[in-house]
Amino acid sequence: MSKAPRAFRLDDPDVVSLPQGETPAVTSGGVVVVPDEEPAAEVAGVAPRRRRMPWLGLLLSALGGLLLMGLGLALERMIAELFASHPAFGWLALGLAALAGLAFLGLLGREAAGVLRERRIEALRRRAAEARERKDDAAAEAVVRDLAALYARRPETASARAAIAALGDAIIDAPDRLAIAERELMTAMDREARRIVAEAARQVSLVTAVSPRAIVDVAFVLYASARLVRRIAALYGGRPGFLGFLRLSGHVLTHLTLTGSIAVGDGLLQQVMGLGLAARVSARLGEGVLNGLLTARVGLSAIAVCRPMPFAALEAPALVDVAASLFDRKAGEPAGAEAPGEAR
Amino acid sequence: MPRVRPPSFLDDTVDALKSLADYAANAVRPTVRLGVTGLARSGKTVFTTALVHHLVNTTPMPVFRVSVEGRLRRARLADQPDDTVPRFPYEEHMASLAEPGRRWPESTRRIAELRVEIDYERAAGWRRGPATLALDIVDYPGEWLLDLALIETSYSEWSRDTLAGSHKPDRAPLAAAWHAHLAALGANEPAEEPAIARASELFKQYLAALRAGPEAVATTPPGRFLMPGDLDGSPALTFSPLVLAPDAPIVPGSVAAQMERRFEAYKAQVVRPFFREHFARLDRQIVLVDVLSALDAGPAALAELETALDRVLAAFRAGRNTLASSLFAPRIDKVLFAATKADHLHRRDHARLEAILRLLVERALRRTKGAGAAAETMALASVRATREVGVRDGAQTFAAIAGTPEAGERIGNQCFDGDSEAAIFPGELPDDPQAIFSGAVEAGSLRFPRFRPPRRIADAGGRLAALPHIRLDRALEFLIGDRLA
Repeated sequence: MSKAPRAFRLDDPDVVSLPQGETPAVTSGGVVVVPDEEPAAEVAGVAPRRRRMPWLGLLLSALGGLLLMGLGLALERMIAELFASHPAFGWLALGLAALAGLAFLGLLGREAAGVLRERRIEALRRRAAEARERKDDAAAEAVVRDLAALYARRPETASARAAIAALGDAIIDAPDRLAIAERELMTAMDREARRIVAEAARQVSLVTAVSPRAIVDVAFVLYASARLVRRIAALYGGRPGFLGFLRLSGHVLTHLTLTGSIAVGDGLLQQVMGLGLAARVSARLGEGVLNGLLTARVGLSAIAVCRPMPFAALEAPALVDVAASLFDRKAGEPAGAEAPGEAR
Repeated sequence: MPRVRPPSFLDDTVDALKSLADYAANAVRPTVRLGVTGLARSGKTVFTTALVHHLVNTTPMPVFRVSVEGRLRRARLADQPDDTVPRFPYEEHMASLAEPGRRWPESTRRIAELRVEIDYERAAGWRRGPATLALDIVDYPGEWLLDLALIETSYSEWSRDTLAGSHKPDRAPLAAAWHAHLAALGANEPAEEPAIARASELFKQYLAALRAGPEAVATTPPGRFLMPGDLDGSPALTFSPLVLAPDAPIVPGSVAAQMERRFEAYKAQVVRPFFREHFARLDRQIVLVDVLSALDAGPAALAELETALDRVLAAFRAGRNTLASSLFAPRIDKVLFAATKADHLHRRDHARLEAILRLLVERALRRTKGAGAAAETMALASVRATREVGVRDGAQTFAAIAGTPEAGERIGNQCFDGDSEAAIFPGELPDDPQAIFSGAVEAGSLRFPRFRPPRRIADAGGRLAALPHIRLDRALEFLIGDRLA
């Protein structure tokens, strides 16, 4: 109790009232009353992670550097030779080399931007979870504001963003504010994500069912999974380049291995039933359903990894939600009734 | 605390059949009975008024899902189901909040009821599409709940407990006149009405003195003695505890016999009908607690408030409803404890206020949750009378609130006239809620003046803005949100 209760009359000549946002010029002993501004956004620092000495990274970087130097040397030699023999071609080669350098820089920038954006999304998810746990109103407000900024370029989120902006700095508790933002922004995206995953799973199962060779299945499953991860990431606001994609795939794999054993439980009965039924119709059909399930799992993991908010106010999709169509169609219809990759 | 249970088999059967009828009616026309209670001056009337105001005017309520999802089509006042219960005078209270008077509405002295019919779109369940929910709001004084404990108490037990309570050192001076009269009055003498009436009168004066004291809450039943309503002066409200010799039988025709008869009549005619007709039929309950006034008054008041709340809350029949219980004896399945007048604090202190409330109702909270009902605490302001400002005075910065203090309020050397606005820094609540009992909060280090209701600004078309509030939408979401899913 450091400060005793006080009262300041607002009609007192000594008390200066200022509109919001203005700063008092010089306070000459008088009392200044300023309407409260929104609490300053709290910058959530990235928690430092303890790392081991990155020997492998060092090795690869060093080798890459050497390779680049060699490449540069070869290029330089080639251009110098061209200048010696045919100056016109020399100039052309120089221009091409400059262009290649520019493109390389551009590519690098895009990759970096993609990775940074992914990190931003991950940080958002972590901050949202923290703000909810600690009931930190200021942090929740900052998270919601950043979330709206993340989707500022997406016209379909306009009404959701307007609704969030309308909340302003009203007294709303952190969990409630986050729940409102999640419901407003994520509902449509979640639905779309489910659709994408279900579609990919169905494609994979159909291709597997009709493909002539196992190697084709494997290739297609890999391709479809990669495409799925990219699409989910793009849907939730990420723009993964090649590096970003690798990073994301790593996360999805980690997530898959972590949740795999748990996820077996929730849809096991359905899996076994569906698989058994399909396998009875045809062995290839059974494999198709299995591959479809695998893809659906990958999709669910991708959603969990790419979504900028943890599932709290909305329900996380379960395997049944995205893989139900596999069983409906498979169990009832004979093999090969549909062409692979049919449009909806 | 004895468990409250209707005693007779016949009553049980009638109640069970009534519940069954209610259940059947509920299937055709969904209804929620929301009990609004709290001890005197905790803000029941304002809460109910604000609740109805926001529902009927469908004001934007971001945390109330049915409203934010655009599924709340309209809500209107309708005829209440109980024709003998006074109607909650919503319009009168709104008028009193409005210009030019801007006064807080009259307080709850008796039970009142109001039905709001809510038209909404159902979004979950097997029957989607338009639906109507009837919300019956029952507003009753929390003091009445203290009486429910009497149902299983005999007259001699009650006499002994009440007298023992009145001999505590801090209460004995208040009860001196009453004690003197009782000492002169022999329990086994023949009954004479003037002596009985005098004893009852002195007993009531003692109860009133208790409530007027710094503790300002009445924890001694019977609650109806201070809020008699239309039973004032009837024999059922004219009795008093007596000094009874332990284990001595009560002589027929004596003062004691007369008192006992009236005590039983009070139980049978006043307490039990309330229990059966209203209290036992509630589905949801909100308990409003004025933590700030008690904080203002000091640790003794807080301890008294805790005791009172604990007794009040022991009366609740809370728990998860099973099929059988919802058919024959429905329980309250959601209880919300709310610290009102959160607008007297800057938002930085709301969490601390909630922590203090949580501490006060801890036992009740645990009991309610243990029984399977959902229970929550929050700090709210049904009508927000202030706004937040920062005050810089030299090097010091105060997170203050600004509003119009009521005439006659004073802080330090400032006395307010009820017209001028002021920024108030009420002091800081302790981080550790336990500190309030250990005396870490010195008397006078907190000050919560009363504010007048807020000025509502009309737009160009002359329409008044909605009443501002703090977390009222969250309270609504918790209380009835699931029925509007």
